Amino acid sequence: MEEIILRGRKIVGGRVEGEALVSHQDIGYWAAVDPATGVFVETNHELEGINVAGKILVYPTGKGSTVGSFALYNMAKCKTAPKGIINIRAEPITAVGAIISSIPMVDQLDDDPTKVIRTGDYVELDADQGIVKIISSDNG
Amino acid sequence: MHLTREESEMLEGKLGYPVQKSMELLVRFGEIYGAERLTSVSSVHLVGGSIVSDGKAAALYVEELVNKGGKFVVNTTLDPGDVEPVYWRELGISEETFRDQMAYSKLYERLGTIMCHTCTPYDIGHIPRMGEHIAWGESSAVAFANSVLGARTNREGAPTAIASAITGRTALCGYHLDQNRYGTFKVLVSANLEDVADYGSLGYFVGELVQDQVPVFIGMPPQVTVDQLKALGAAIGTAGAVALYQAVGITPEAQTEEQAFGPKKLSESNIIEVGDREIRTTMEKLSTSSTDEVDLVILGCPHSSISEMKEIAELLSGRKVAPSVELWIFTSVPVIAYAERAGYKDVIEKAGVKILRDTCPWGWENHILSRLGHKAVATNSAKSAFYMPFSGHNNLMCHFGSTKRCIDAALSGKWR
Repeated sequence: MEEIILRGRKIVGGRVEGEALVSHQDIGYWAAVDPATGVFVETNHELEGINVAGKILVYPTGKGSTVGSFALYNMAKCKTAPKGIINIRAEPITAVGAIISSIPMVDQLDDDPTKVIRTGDYVELDADQGIVKIISSDNG
Repeated sequence: MHLTREESEMLEGKLGYPVQKSMELLVRFGEIYGAERLTSVSSVHLVGGSIVSDGKAAALYVEELVNKGGKFVVNTTLDPGDVEPVYWRELGISEETFRDQMAYSKLYERLGTIMCHTCTPYDIGHIPRMGEHIAWGESSAVAFANSVLGARTNREGAPTAIASAITGRTALCGYHLDQNRYGTFKVLVSANLEDVADYGSLGYFVGELVQDQVPVFIGMPPQVTVDQLKALGAAIGTAGAVALYQAVGITPEAQTEEQAFGPKKLSESNIIEVGDREIRTTMEKLSTSSTDEVDLVILGCPHSSISEMKEIAELLSGRKVAPSVELWIFTSVPVIAYAERAGYKDVIEKAGVKILRDTCPWGWENHILSRLGHKAVATNSAKSAFYMPFSGHNNLMCHFGSTKRCIDAALSGKWR
């Protein structure tokens, strides 16, 4: 088992660990996720049909509707939000949603997290220190 | 971050809890994005208008500010809600949503919002000037204010926009600063652009590629209309997180290419060419329907302007929507008033069309459109075309094309 450490910038502090879910496409939370279930419903998106609840969600940046801040907050209150967010660049709508929902979030890591982290990897996110520790799920 | 004495007192709570909480959020946001200080804002547009989209937790968030005496100190307008005040029962909007939306809207009214529910605040006279610092939400309105008007705003979610409305401040970062308003992508346009749908396709195609960057369009027709720029901005903020685009010779901060790019050195890989093929492919990608059936036509995303109402009235004049089809036009209250005065409303309604105010179908509670029996929807809006297939669990099939094509579909029930 190999461990990889990435260092970046804190957007919202806190420490969480869990399974990573990686999207190579940008994410806007409004309408794209059913807040009742956490299932990603945006058509033609690589996460379509996948549940994001409780995952450490890794993706490039935000997109789309500015309703996203409250949409993420709504998911957090419905307990369907990701438990941590790792972005290449934190877009303000997502950042504000994460701040008011207290979801640990980092960006601007020293390597591209959407390439280094793979879906299913176990990840420790120490957002206070801006550190992402990846414990690869790769059996090989 | 440097705060004035007054701002420090606001942060310490000397002006009460809502101001303190708002300052905390703005300072935190500003620190993340490297703001050296705050700046005054004179105008806020809030995206927090829809109770279904925002959720009940958002209502509690806003209610706390109301109960603790929060007041907006700058002119503030509000995005569409989930109730059409005239047709809501007929549309199948539930009593519960009606009640919740009225209560939610009332909270914003008590905070001091100029009561409206529209995504085109600039169409009701809420217009910032060039260079003015504002805090606007609603992705389409953000792109419009920054790009077409030359005002300065970041993409504001409701929490920070509310904080700006309560404090009269925003963090001086992002698109408030000259250096972030220069182009970072060059878009060479050779496509033949005629209708709002063409501009929507252009915006969607470019938004997906440039993500949160600043594209500069070169070669856009000089006769481009404000309605077409509105459609471009709505699409570019849907596919991407574009807050600001420039169009050389058209937008006020891009009278020349040199002005648009300023001192920024453009990377070779940041050049995009858009011809007819890209427009057509994007239109096809957003058109998910495989049959020619149409049972609903949706226009007015973003809300129709008076010039769009005029265009629709001219296309509908003396004709009638097919019995199997509904045509809905979404717009704002003042536009309806002027459409009535100009005679467009009469022409449009005589054709069997519903003019809907204060709302947006993509915010409505789940399954409304499918419960009404709608399956195949035509629209001239790239933004609507994108949200339609999954928003509200209606599983709608989409036809996306020009206003004229949409009107023809409403008259015939067929997409041609």
